[in-house]
Amino acid sequence: MNYGLNTDEPRIMWIDLNSAFAMAEQQAHPSLRNRPIGVTNRLSPECCVIAASYEAKALGIKVGVRRSEAIALCPDFVMLETDPPKYHHVYKKLMAIMQSYSPKVKMKSIDEGIIDFRDMDKTYTTERLIAIGYEIKARVKKEIGDYTKINVGIAPNRFLAKTAAGLHKPDGLDVISYRNLLDVYKSLELQDLNGIADGFGSRLRSFKIDTPMKFLEAREDLLRKQVFKSINGMHWFNRLRGFEVDDFETKLGTVGRQWVVKNPSNDEDYLRSCLHFLAETTGKKLRFRNVDARGVAVWLTFQSGETFYDKRTYKTGVFTDSDIWLRVSKIFNQRPKHMSVRTMGLTLYKLEPSARSQIGLFHNTEKDQHVTTAVDEINDMYGMFTVHSGDSLEGTKHVKQKIPFGGTEYFELLLKRQ
Amino acid sequence: MDPTQIINQRVEVAVFYRKDCDVSMLAYPVKMKFKNQEIKFTRLGLRHPTSKGRRMVHIFDVTDDVNDYRLEFDAQGLTWTLISMIPGVSL
Repeated sequence: MNYGLNTDEPRIMWIDLNSAFAMAEQQAHPSLRNRPIGVTNRLSPECCVIAASYEAKALGIKVGVRRSEAIALCPDFVMLETDPPKYHHVYKKLMAIMQSYSPKVKMKSIDEGIIDFRDMDKTYTTERLIAIGYEIKARVKKEIGDYTKINVGIAPNRFLAKTAAGLHKPDGLDVISYRNLLDVYKSLELQDLNGIADGFGSRLRSFKIDTPMKFLEAREDLLRKQVFKSINGMHWFNRLRGFEVDDFETKLGTVGRQWVVKNPSNDEDYLRSCLHFLAETTGKKLRFRNVDARGVAVWLTFQSGETFYDKRTYKTGVFTDSDIWLRVSKIFNQRPKHMSVRTMGLTLYKLEPSARSQIGLFHNTEKDQHVTTAVDEINDMYGMFTVHSGDSLEGTKHVKQKIPFGGTEYFELLLKRQ
Repeated sequence: MDPTQIINQRVEVAVFYRKDCDVSMLAYPVKMKFKNQEIKFTRLGLRHPTSKGRRMVHIFDVTDDVNDYRLEFDAQGLTWTLISMIPGVSL
């Protein structure tokens, strides 16, 4: 059967530093090597594992497992708090190694990224890429640490390269091309495919597509019109065949922060200060991305299980901490005040390229911009929140910065906070 | 359980400086005096720089093959601080 596979040579290399935070801790602490350990944002009896070592994973202690459950599974389980500067160091080292091989390097998250060799000359054959993969592994051990292992996957597109990187964890190097693609699919379960979890998995199974091979054999119009009911079906049809459909930049849609309230309460001053602190950190993210926001949303969940959500859209965008807080607090004041708040969050949306250099017709933003820039510069130099609103002082004591998991966009900003 | 014991005490440290090697191994502590005991380090786990406000500090995670130690070198004040230790565990 002709599947119409992409017969180009594999030229995308996926580098995956699995269990990155746990491995960085084991690299730093030799006494924790070969032991079940986990990393969490804030140590507490019921905190969750955000990264588990391979030894912990082998015992069933995975991401999301509570500390109490982990200790029940393994009494020797060790949980450490995250150490962002350590992970940033490993991330920067890994990125520097990757960038020494191709100008086209894209970090997908803190612990994984791709090297795109497609624009390189024809001497970059599969054999050469395999040699480069082993060289990167050796350099990681030498330049980051002898305990640090990476997975390398080489394939014609990102999806297959990531699949290849996952075939032999924690220290594998695999190539997927049109030559062995069918064998790889035959060895995998449907939900082993990246991007196919419970939702898509059950949707596919309802059309009797329950293996990767059946997924590959499915007609494009079936996937597009019936299974996914969108252009996603066409993307999956091409993705499975090794054609690149994931090489695009995502547009920034929202900026925000949320927080699980330490000691749930309905204390007005406490909640206002913590939300004000969240608004200030969100403002820093907004300016870091050089955008203004026209929309503001605030949400709360209460101990009773009820929720509060409201949003407002304005004609003009904001970027200063004080303007953001003004809009956030207007919504926050509408909440049912007698109820004890368990979680809180705010989102800025309708983001637009910064109009800070424009002179306003009714309100001169130049002064606001100078003050905000001066405060940001002071904080950059002397440490985050050297200068901040007096109202958020209480919040700075309670709200801790979490390690950003999904992307690497705010990593530099987080380190300034540290 | 988190086995980390916070110490935060200034210590005397002897450092070895090398040339012609990877930047991560250019300088590493070889021994320290802590509670009137001399502790000799056998391995460097990881070194990473970070900042405390404007000050650059270097964190050295080292071991004597019994316990793990976290040392902080303040590049401005030229001081060494034993931040914490993780006691070794017999497996």
